[in-house]
Amino acid sequence: MILHALYEYYQRLAADPESGIAPEGFERKEIPFLILLDAEGNFRDLQDVREGIGRNLRAKRYLVPKDCGRTSGVRANLLWDNPKYVLAYAEKPSDQEKANLCHRAFLARFEECFSDMRQTHTGLGALGRFLEKQSFDAILSHPLWREVVKSKGNLTFQLDSDYRPIAEDAAIQARVREKTQDLSEKSERSICLISGKPAPLALLHPAIKGVAGGQISGCFIVSFNFAAARSYGKESGDNAPVSQSVAFAYTTALNYLLQKGSRHKLQVADMTMVFWAEKQEPIEDFLFDLFVENKDDPTRNSEAIRALYSSPWRGSLSVDEDDATRFYVLGLAPNASRISIRFWEVTTVSGLVERLKEHFNDIKICHGPKMSDFLPLNSLIRSVAVQGKLDHVAPNHAADMTRAVFSGAPYPLVFLQEALTRTRAEQDVPYWRAALIKACVNRFIRSEAHSTEKELTVSLDETNDNIGYCLGRLFAVLEKIQEESHPGINATIRDRYYGSASSTPVVAFSPLMRMKNHHLAKLENRGRVVNFERLLARIMEYISDFPSTLSLHDQGRFAIGYYHQRQAFFSKSSEASQSQAEPVSV
Amino acid sequence: MKPFCLTVTGDYACFTRPELKTERLSYDVITPSAARAIFEAVFWKPSIRWRIQKIDVLRPIRWISVRRNEVASVVPYGNVKSAMKSGTGTLGIYIEEDRQQRAGRFLRDVAYRLYATLEVVPGQPGAEDGPGKYYAMFERRAKQGQTFNQPYLGCREFSACVAWADPDDPAQEAPISESRDFGLMLYDMDFSHPQRPPRFFNAQMVQGVIKVPAWESEEVRG
Repeated sequence: MILHALYEYYQRLAADPESGIAPEGFERKEIPFLILLDAEGNFRDLQDVREGIGRNLRAKRYLVPKDCGRTSGVRANLLWDNPKYVLAYAEKPSDQEKANLCHRAFLARFEECFSDMRQTHTGLGALGRFLEKQSFDAILSHPLWREVVKSKGNLTFQLDSDYRPIAEDAAIQARVREKTQDLSEKSERSICLISGKPAPLALLHPAIKGVAGGQISGCFIVSFNFAAARSYGKESGDNAPVSQSVAFAYTTALNYLLQKGSRHKLQVADMTMVFWAEKQEPIEDFLFDLFVENKDDPTRNSEAIRALYSSPWRGSLSVDEDDATRFYVLGLAPNASRISIRFWEVTTVSGLVERLKEHFNDIKICHGPKMSDFLPLNSLIRSVAVQGKLDHVAPNHAADMTRAVFSGAPYPLVFLQEALTRTRAEQDVPYWRAALIKACVNRFIRSEAHSTEKELTVSLDETNDNIGYCLGRLFAVLEKIQEESHPGINATIRDRYYGSASSTPVVAFSPLMRMKNHHLAKLENRGRVVNFERLLARIMEYISDFPSTLSLHDQGRFAIGYYHQRQAFFSKSSEASQSQAEPVSV
Repeated sequence: MKPFCLTVTGDYACFTRPELKTERLSYDVITPSAARAIFEAVFWKPSIRWRIQKIDVLRPIRWISVRRNEVASVVPYGNVKSAMKSGTGTLGIYIEEDRQQRAGRFLRDVAYRLYATLEVVPGQPGAEDGPGKYYAMFERRAKQGQTFNQPYLGCREFSACVAWADPDDPAQEAPISESRDFGLMLYDMDFSHPQRPPRFFNAQMVQGVIKVPAWESEEVRG
């Protein structure tokens, strides 16, 4: 199903001339250097086509005949390759013999494909004459040559009168396509399990590049690289009959989704996620802005969220209410030279919009004015990790979380557990973690049939009578009383009591309530004391008894009650004394 | 002849897709070949053949990801041959020395109702007795819970609970109310052919029911 959807996506891209996707037998390859020739085949210049600053030079991508998939041994690419193949260049004299061999292979490939076109085609004629002369000293002494060697990049040719490499010429492309088709017509056919049509099978599938953490040279989705992966004595690709053209199409489509700067790619912890729709949909573009923080232009993020809410059925994110266009989300993770599928979710565009809204509703929580409204998925996941590092997130957790977002299922319980563990360890509820805990609790409530529990609100809910929530609020009030009675205090009751108050309230709250009386007595402003006592009384109305323990979800509510109450203090005091800017800690 | 019916349930299942079998990813539902193997675990002889007719999906499709170490190689055929000849030899594989970490996306908490008919293969010993004897044998074995080997859901490590079911029982569990197109799915291997090529069919679930076309029909490709 995955390969099938990718195969369809390739066809969609191929039908769109603006997508720039490579036709069969070709690929877009980064080629950093061009050798400029004149029509006579004389070397004119060496051109550096990399762009960028300093070390981050990126080569331009040109459409060239597909990489021959060299692993070891000598196999030349057509019209482009590295200096060893193109110019018989050897870095060490001892390698010269091997380089000559490679160069001959390069020549042979050229001759085999284009020998009859050399007379009629200017570019090929020039290139043919250039290669015949075998005098490459001018290039090797060019000032740029050291850069070429240093970059280990590939080379291709261009006429100095032209603006694009010879390989991009239409007549040459037609010839290469012909050759690929010839080859496939001659070979043996079997049924392809993706297209269902008889066709020559791919024994080795092209590599997938751009999955974070995978090998630079690329990884494989379909591979049978050890004996136990094979069945019935079949070798490599025969184990899963996929035709050559389908293998090309699905890998090209996936590489297109995974390419650098792709807006169809999200990195969620250790998982690389790609998404696409059956047909062109604005949501494809929105999804990126919804999840990826745009540091240069933060308004893009909030703009995307606003568009999601403000009538997604019309406006800039125009989606029909019953748009049944299928939408695919694919999560990939590398495993040595292979890629494993972490998750695969197929939904409809309208279903996706609903789920995204649900997700952003669930994580929405009040916060200080300096914090962004926008909560990237990675920040949520990071909030449960030790030291807030994504590396410390257990594998699979990111995938489970993302699946919950895209399938509308409850968030994994392990996230609530870990969030509470982190909260107890750090004795603090930062904004991101509060958002995560709130979302976990709310989704859990909704998933429970006939649940009478109230969902948690965005900001302080004085009518919520849940014992965990009320105790959290109470704890925040007690802390506030202490803070005001001992201005500038280093360690508050939070540092000593948060853990026990949230898990075993009866143990923590009896001394806390005693301490409160001493703290109140120290407050000089009697009006403030009355206010606090009123507030305490309002909260205590809901608390008949301090329970000996709190359940996991009630501990979550405790954290949110505490967070809400604290936020309420800050926002109220800042309203009351606007000139006196209170530091807002979240 | 009305089909025989078995209810199979299990905590985990993996009906591996051929293209994604190194990093395993399961098909969404049981394949006809896995269903056939379950019937064969209950009752099989060379003179009979099981044909899967229909699959009812009884529980929603749920997933789990597991990463584990598995053996990377198989016992080499050559070693077995030479061991047979000489009478001695080492055929063991040590998992600690020869392993691969593999990721798997498995199904969780599955339940299916499988319908299959029993066919007598002409020309085999016992075929002349007619099918009645075999019908009775299967029914007796299935009702008593007898199996030749532990029935499993795609992979041996995911054992299945198998129970006899009456297709006409009005009290039986209803299939899930979901329709989905699974695309081309493995039907079975063509074991009559020396290369054992796989055959595929277009699997469609309509209100939780997957109709399996006949093996010889045109819908089965490969």
